[in-house]
Amino acid sequence: MRALNATFQRELRAYFVSPLAYLVMTFFLVYNGFTFGAVISYLNDPRAPGTDRPMDSIFQGFFFWVLLLFLATVLTMRLISEELRSGSIEVLMTAPITEAQVVVGKYLAALTFYCALWAPTVAYCLIISHYSRVDWGPIAGGYFGIFCLGAFFLSIGVLFSALTRSQLLAAIMTFAVLAILFVVGLLENLFNNELAKQTLGYVDLYGHMEEFHKGIVDSRHLIYYASAICFFLFLASRALADRKWR
Amino acid sequence: MIEAHDLSRRFGDFTAVDGVSFRAADHEILGMLGPNGAGKTTTIRMITGFLPPTAGRVTVAGHDLFESPTEVRRHLGYLPENVALYPEMRVEEYLGYRAHLEGLAGGEVRIAVGEAVERCLLVEVRHQIIGTLSKGYRQRVGLATAILHRPGVLVLDEPTVGLDPKQIISIRELIRELGRERTLLLSTHILPEVELLCDRVIIIDRGRIAAEGTPESLRQSWVGNPGLRVTLKDAPPAAPAALEQLTGVIAVRAGAGGPGSFVLECDRAADPREQVFRAAVEHGWVLLELALERPSLEDVFVRLTTREHAGEAEGGPAPPAAPGAHGANPADPAHPAHPAHPSNTATERPDQEEVPS
Repeated sequence: MRALNATFQRELRAYFVSPLAYLVMTFFLVYNGFTFGAVISYLNDPRAPGTDRPMDSIFQGFFFWVLLLFLATVLTMRLISEELRSGSIEVLMTAPITEAQVVVGKYLAALTFYCALWAPTVAYCLIISHYSRVDWGPIAGGYFGIFCLGAFFLSIGVLFSALTRSQLLAAIMTFAVLAILFVVGLLENLFNNELAKQTLGYVDLYGHMEEFHKGIVDSRHLIYYASAICFFLFLASRALADRKWR
Repeated sequence: MIEAHDLSRRFGDFTAVDGVSFRAADHEILGMLGPNGAGKTTTIRMITGFLPPTAGRVTVAGHDLFESPTEVRRHLGYLPENVALYPEMRVEEYLGYRAHLEGLAGGEVRIAVGEAVERCLLVEVRHQIIGTLSKGYRQRVGLATAILHRPGVLVLDEPTVGLDPKQIISIRELIRELGRERTLLLSTHILPEVELLCDRVIIIDRGRIAAEGTPESLRQSWVGNPGLRVTLKDAPPAAPAALEQLTGVIAVRAGAGGPGSFVLECDRAADPREQVFRAAVEHGWVLLELALERPSLEDVFVRLTTREHAGEAEGGPAPPAAPGAHGANPADPAHPAHPAHPSNTATERPDQEEVPS
């Protein structure tokens, strides 16, 4: 536990001393601030229809998804591949720490940084709530959805980071797989076959997020994310252990 | 204590390490010597648990590596060949992180870091960012990492590579001091280092142990007779024959220093310097040089590794060249014809660092 905690803290600190992290943070806030500005000006238009969910485009639009795929890729690509490239993995894995502890420690650091990125956007909700009545349920649901999706995406990023010593390759593979996962869910609407529709509906991330943002937390989605996260982190720790056998 | 039983490691078709067994006792510095690519680093990685062996067993400080790997890692300090650190961290911060990884907590961490910083002469850079340190300092941070948790067993893979002569001396002193307290396995291809530091040596070549013993016993059992270098001014043609007559002299060869220079192959126990002097006085020769050369560990090394390569030159992946093997005579160690010239071999080796201590 102490070793896991040490890894977690080191990784988290590594984020905050790398220029990339500040680049990502700046980009993130500008991007979301711009979206929020657009939302506000839209809501201020007297011809616009009223809405119950003013944060909709921040939690759900095209911009949200692009941002999410990009974030998961950038935050995880360095995590393990950098250790493999520099060779620091050798001193790390000869310390009394298991592969699973390394993977989980790094994953939790990425997840924490991801949450820290989103934290300032709560200010948007507070600003809106100052000028109008806000239904907090859907907003809380939306944030919970962001957390779940992020946790899910980051676990995939960690896996690919453990598979290669090249950050670039890890990033490309992560982005490709995340994009495929996202698109597969959207195919739901293209099928008439009931079985296919239902199956794809289970993995329809866009649909999941829509429900979260309505304030609906479906346990099936939670189980889907939790089991997927465990699965990918397990694979990552196996990949890390397996490197030794080559 | 380190015990390795019949360790083997294959990479595909290539056998990097083939049935290596050895034992390093407590308070002993065991040197591991071998040409580049002989399997030293692979062997070390198997002992530290980074690379699982294809076959064989390892016991470190009484714990089996496969039954209790975490326990082994706890008792083991390791300085790998390529010291890779996190460049964005500060020295003390990094050591603190390592101490936590090793399971230390609270006040122990501060004490352990302070001690390691002092012993490895890192005091003046303790707050510096690792990425800005020179190679020598990074090497020392690596060494500090290895001794941080006061392990009973230390494994150092080429600890003095890339250091300047002054740093080499201080690191060697530290290694000697560390070896008094624990088991220390030292891999190197720098021969003087082995003679200076190690109680016992194993020579590894092409994945096998070629010889094992104290530096002294290796010298005696593997290299032939000592040579006596004699240089005469305007030596008469009869001089070699006269020299050969002396007791204790087996053969006379021409030396490297021109027409008046000879090398006398002597009996192992004999020291015919006095006879040479008296003979010179008697014949009226002017004696310019008279020096007895004991065969060095380097000769053992060259002899052993050259023999292996000569015997197995055909087939298999290209063997890595043994340092200093060029120019040396491949000879059967059982009947050594003439010992190699220690001085000659030493000057032929650019990778060799000779440091007085």
